[in-house]
Amino acid sequence: MGLLALGTALDWPDAKQQAHLVRAWGIKQLLEIWNKAKGKERDAMLWGDEIEYLVVNYSKDDSKVLLSLRQADILKALADSKTLKVTGDCAPGTEANGDAGNVTLPVFHPEFGRFMLEATPGKPWGIDFKDLLTVEADMKLRRCIAKDHMLPNEHPITLTTFPRIGSPGGFTEPSYPVSGPKLRSQFVPDEIANPHIRFPTLAANIRSRRGRKVQVNVPVFRDENTPWPWKDPTVNYDLHNWPEDDDVRNGAAPDNFIHMDAMAFGMGSCCLQITFQAKNITEGRKMYDQLSPLGPILLALTAATPVYKGFLADTDVRWNQISRAVDDRTPEEMGEKPLKNDRWRIPKSRYASNSTYISTDSRLRPEYMDPNLVIDPEIKQQLLDGGMDDRLATHFAHLFIRDPIVIFNEDLQELDLTKTDHFENIQSTNWQHMRFKPPPADNSIGWRVEFRPMEIQITDFENAAFSVFIVLITRAILSFDLNFYIPIVKVDENMETAHARNANLEKKFWFRKNPFPVRTTRRGGSGSRSASGASTPSGGPSRPATPPLGPVEDEYRLMSVNEVINGTAYAKATSKEVTEDAEEGEEFPGLIPLVESYLDSVNMDVATRCGLARYLDLIRKRASGELWTAAKWIREFIAKHPEYKKDSVVSEEVTKDLVGAVIAIGEREKRGLGIDDLIGQVPHLEKLFGTFLKGKSPCGGAGQAALEQELKDDDTKVNGVKRKFEGEE
Amino acid sequence: MAKLILSTGNIVSGGPSIVRKPGASNLELINSLKVSFQDAQLDYADEIENLNVDVNGTTTTTTTNGTNNGVHEATNGDSSNSSNPEPVAGPLYWTAQDQTKNTIYVPRIDWETAGLLEERSQYDITVKIFFLPTTTPDVSRRAAYTSEALSLVQKELGGISDVDLLVVSFPGMSFDGDCEWEADKRNASQGDDEAEIATWQAAVEEALYAQGRVKRLGISEFGTEKLARFIKRVQVPPAVDQINIKNCCNVPPPLAKLAKEQNVELLVHSDCTDILPEGTLRELLGPQGAGLLADPKATSSEGLSGNLTPQWVIKYTAVVRNRGVIENKGYFAGAELN
Repeated sequence: MGLLALGTALDWPDAKQQAHLVRAWGIKQLLEIWNKAKGKERDAMLWGDEIEYLVVNYSKDDSKVLLSLRQADILKALADSKTLKVTGDCAPGTEANGDAGNVTLPVFHPEFGRFMLEATPGKPWGIDFKDLLTVEADMKLRRCIAKDHMLPNEHPITLTTFPRIGSPGGFTEPSYPVSGPKLRSQFVPDEIANPHIRFPTLAANIRSRRGRKVQVNVPVFRDENTPWPWKDPTVNYDLHNWPEDDDVRNGAAPDNFIHMDAMAFGMGSCCLQITFQAKNITEGRKMYDQLSPLGPILLALTAATPVYKGFLADTDVRWNQISRAVDDRTPEEMGEKPLKNDRWRIPKSRYASNSTYISTDSRLRPEYMDPNLVIDPEIKQQLLDGGMDDRLATHFAHLFIRDPIVIFNEDLQELDLTKTDHFENIQSTNWQHMRFKPPPADNSIGWRVEFRPMEIQITDFENAAFSVFIVLITRAILSFDLNFYIPIVKVDENMETAHARNANLEKKFWFRKNPFPVRTTRRGGSGSRSASGASTPSGGPSRPATPPLGPVEDEYRLMSVNEVINGTAYAKATSKEVTEDAEEGEEFPGLIPLVESYLDSVNMDVATRCGLARYLDLIRKRASGELWTAAKWIREFIAKHPEYKKDSVVSEEVTKDLVGAVIAIGEREKRGLGIDDLIGQVPHLEKLFGTFLKGKSPCGGAGQAALEQELKDDDTKVNGVKRKFEGEE
Repeated sequence: MAKLILSTGNIVSGGPSIVRKPGASNLELINSLKVSFQDAQLDYADEIENLNVDVNGTTTTTTTNGTNNGVHEATNGDSSNSSNPEPVAGPLYWTAQDQTKNTIYVPRIDWETAGLLEERSQYDITVKIFFLPTTTPDVSRRAAYTSEALSLVQKELGGISDVDLLVVSFPGMSFDGDCEWEADKRNASQGDDEAEIATWQAAVEEALYAQGRVKRLGISEFGTEKLARFIKRVQVPPAVDQINIKNCCNVPPPLAKLAKEQNVELLVHSDCTDILPEGTLRELLGPQGAGLLADPKATSSEGLSGNLTPQWVIKYTAVVRNRGVIENKGYFAGAELN
């Protein structure tokens, strides 16, 4: 979430009046920073991750687990301790403070949901490979510090969504009545949102602009005893507090869908986001494009969201729910009514997969672009007149078809070109799966690219693994000049595919057959000997492709996640659910083998390589199906629970035990302990983690003895936790 | 006798040859040499016509060491004495010959495209020299190989004056298997201590390190005992020992301990020691391969003939330091044709 300036937020009708002004000033600010920063060179490769937590109130003596709404108090506690104390449990067992006293403390941020917390590392990560191994320890430290500033019964957990958010009977602590003036939701109270004026205004203005409440409908999972057709039993058709209460009487809640009606159902999800700094604008644009086709693959692979509002859903990921939860399009824009007052039809929500490619790479063929891209031609012209190239101008002219949602009256006095607030107002409420970020107004940091599709994972080991994997794949892309371009509409299609249950094993995704650069001839003049595309001087197009290009359709085919991640040969040997249909000569090398090739080409010490191998192993096994995604594990956990009646209902008791298991895993991980004692007690845990979270590090070597000693020292704590968990089972 | 200099050019953006196969192997080298030869043959194909009749209208055939090796050279009076390699006419048009040094470049090297994109200080440059088992461990010859190989890399990377790390791989060594105690024990009796130490002193410490051409030194596949013996006897101890850890991570504790005590960084690698066996090279260059060598069965085939002995391989990697991007990576190899 961006800066939280205070001020007077305009209600929708007033904000709408100012939308044009904000856009106009936003474009001026964009041009200002673009002109200032377009020549920036040689910024270091820095990156950062963001972990989002749900804060739950859990005690084995309480009959149910609730979302804690104490975000403000927790953040205050976290901000109060001038130097956040790294004491007690957080000190030993986390390797982050190996350089004693040299720990950069993490930073905690508010999020939309009042039950959420976001934590980022205190300083960005570099590319020193040893740095990559401190990420996990730092994530654990963040979790540990967060926990230390909560009440004893409060726990930060990294489930994407709270399984029973919006269920009748109360799911928050404290509890508030639903149907408040801002959200007008019949399922969640206004108090669910961060009380900072920005957030309720965001929700209210989206609803107001849209002309009705948001409709977040997720197909319900049909189990043996699920009544069919299924009617969401929690929908109240007799509410008459607000005009929007008519929505459900007008068909907002169709059969066989779990119906949700508020921004909190989407923006209350936790994600794992990675931001990279590029060396210059050219490299940033290239990373934006090349990472874009990976988005749906990583979404499917990190799937962790099978439950909504107390029901099993027939989808595995959060993406479309967030998309719908912030969809501010009017009926005219959605194509439900003829265009009269609005300017254009808009095919996607402001939270959606990317619609543009922006690189200057000569391999970007016009056929890859979205033929139906909506842009604001006037804004594009302004950007062109300001000196921006067509491709980038098109990108921003596309983002700027949206209205600003939250406008503070105080910011409309005069245009301040030393700020980027108006630009950011539009930019940061375009939640696409990639984000291209210009430097801040003071130009102090470089051009950045954010990778946004991944779902948060239950453990920091997994979150570190996926973060590091994305870092390494970007290094491989830049080093080997890889090419993952497919038509952007195929990326959209993949994003939908990624939602299916078990999509990571059972579905196929469009992916480029040959990721390697086309050879250039020596006679062509540009020379293949020293010009890695990664190092193309800024501004200029990349190497020319010599052979004539065939039809775009011949460049890609359907692949399983396994094939994309592990390569055709590996996938053929391991896939059970799908058959790989790579033809002779169409074998895809696999992202992990590409990363390993990269690692083989750099100097790396044994311990670091082993640590990284562990991360790659996790991803390899998740992709091949040897290990389950969190979504699959949650489903199977629920299925096996004695209280589950095979009717798609995830009861309070089941939810409590699921969250309890997640807390137990987290408690052990935070302390650097294994989950061995939970295996067998928590159903299917070995399918989620394999042998990864065994107490003993699979990497021997120098650290082994120290680790064993640590484990020994921690024995007492283990026993304490163990007893507690055993008591519940 | 003719000397062959094989080269791959920059392989980082060269396609599938960079894709790793499990285990230690030489596939990257072999595949990228193959690709390099094929590319050169394609790229220079349109020169065949031009070269058969050169600017002076003369085409000469030279004999080397009394053996008619079938190499046609395009020379003219002005350049015949210079040491600039000249394109070769005929079926070996894609190679170049330096007459004065009696060296054939396979393929031709276009030095004009050589170099790094940024200044030297931005890079971490590592080279690894492989002494091959096919040659006798003659110290002075190894010194010559190393110096020549490093010069090629320096030129290829745009005339750099030094590299950050030179790793030396001696023949007959392995750290095979499962990085366990046994591999480490087996390693103790591998290789040839005396030759290795003598080589290190003459070819590495004196010829390169003392001259400032190399900032740090390393060795490859040294287990605990060998490393301990080696360190005792050399002046400049290695800062790096590369070991092949396969997919397991069990560094034998004595090796880990020794490395720590002696400040030797244990780095991973996945090269095999015998990276360019004679038979493989012959196949690569033979009639079924690049067609550089004559078919021994055919009576009048064009191409070089004689005994082919690979002598050394050098691998180089230039990584942009604070971005972790590999900008340039490739191999040179030296072989003798008698």
